[in-house]
Amino acid sequence: MAYDVFLGCVIPARLPYLEASARKVFTRLGIQLNDVEGFSCCPDPTGIEQIDHKTWLALGSRNLSLSKNKNGGIISFCSGCVETLKGVNYYINKDSEAMKEVNTILKKVGKKYDGKTKVKHFAEVLYENLAKVRKNVTTPLYGFKVAIHYGCHYLRPSEVIDWDDPFEPKTIDELVKALGAESIDYDMKMECCGNPVEKTDKDLSLLLIDNKLKSIQDAGANCVVVVCPACYQQFEFNQRELNKKNNTNYDIPIFYLSELLALAFGIKPEEIGLRFHRVKPNALFESTGFIKEG
Amino acid sequence: MSVINFDFRNEVISHNASLSYCYQCATCSGACPVALATAGKYNPRKIIELSILGLQEKLIEGADVSIWLCSTCQTCVELCPQEVELTEIFTLIKNRAFEVGKIPEGFQLQGQAIIDNGVAIPYSKAIESRRENLGLPMVKTAPVDEIKTILKETNFENNILKVGK
Repeated sequence: MAYDVFLGCVIPARLPYLEASARKVFTRLGIQLNDVEGFSCCPDPTGIEQIDHKTWLALGSRNLSLSKNKNGGIISFCSGCVETLKGVNYYINKDSEAMKEVNTILKKVGKKYDGKTKVKHFAEVLYENLAKVRKNVTTPLYGFKVAIHYGCHYLRPSEVIDWDDPFEPKTIDELVKALGAESIDYDMKMECCGNPVEKTDKDLSLLLIDNKLKSIQDAGANCVVVVCPACYQQFEFNQRELNKKNNTNYDIPIFYLSELLALAFGIKPEEIGLRFHRVKPNALFESTGFIKEG
Repeated sequence: MSVINFDFRNEVISHNASLSYCYQCATCSGACPVALATAGKYNPRKIIELSILGLQEKLIEGADVSIWLCSTCQTCVELCPQEVELTEIFTLIKNRAFEVGKIPEGFQLQGQAIIDNGVAIPYSKAIESRRENLGLPMVKTAPVDEIKTILKETNFENNILKVGK
């Protein structure tokens, strides 16, 4: 199966190492990712959609119209992009007036969209290939006690996302376990990371992530896995700030799901730019014996 | 004193009829992570109540507007026993606020970035070389003119200029 890859804004322009791990993992699995020229911002379902639904539909439809891949359709490494692209499809397919209006706008730039491009989250494709994932594990992640953060837009609204259970998801748990790691239950597992409210209230956003990190620390996890770049930034970029502000001692490595797969597939940390992480995983690697120092 | 705006109320209901199903049970507020973290300062049930009553001013222009604190986590939408589409209704209200320039700066900055670049985050030289070092391909994003044409057509560019004026 081949997919058109939709990179979005945050991963390629701020966190390209996450993209590197994802591309390497898909190559290992023999799943082809095709690059397409001319995508814009998806646009952000927590930003642009909130202020202008029509613009959200129009830009989203334009992006979807660029994929000519009728089999696999589009794959994205970002939960926000997936929610937008699936959501745009959902709206224009249920509302023929919206579809007409969108196409009137797209006509001005010589494009049209029929609402038929398929969209998948990269974790969805990985889960479909779980057996292949298992087969590719060469260096199991023994001793990794992973706090899984599914994130809101990976799951909800379930009518639009139409995928894992919105409150009792299992897909990422199964993927993590397939790598030899342990999935640690924690009280706040299903809570929002708080990233979207940063645009309105930074302190509130910090409070939400502080609550999650506390719960993760209390549960005895030694790392976190995420599948969305907004969640990734929220978890990783704020630990130092919280430590300064509240005298906490957070030092929890945050991994993208693709990074955990890459490591379990025997791909070296330097090949996937693990050095760009702000919270370094060295102590975890040493304590688990995953990579011996020196 | 609060002024009822019937046109606003009717607009919300005609756009999303599920608003009128709400019987104020507060399942939404009880499950809302932001309501919990703000000790009820943000209260989705209250926003729905204000919408049913047509109190547009309180939702869009008042000093205590809280609708922008919604994290869009969609928990309320999943749990509502009356299947009220809260997030869609909040989106409509926020869209109306945008038309009169009443949005938080963070949203304006993102909007302006997309007008200027077609994407929310432009590619810096440093990132381009980091991409190259990681063996990643060059990204050819959307032509800015094409995106601008669409944003003019939807009046987005105009509305962004109204913010803070």
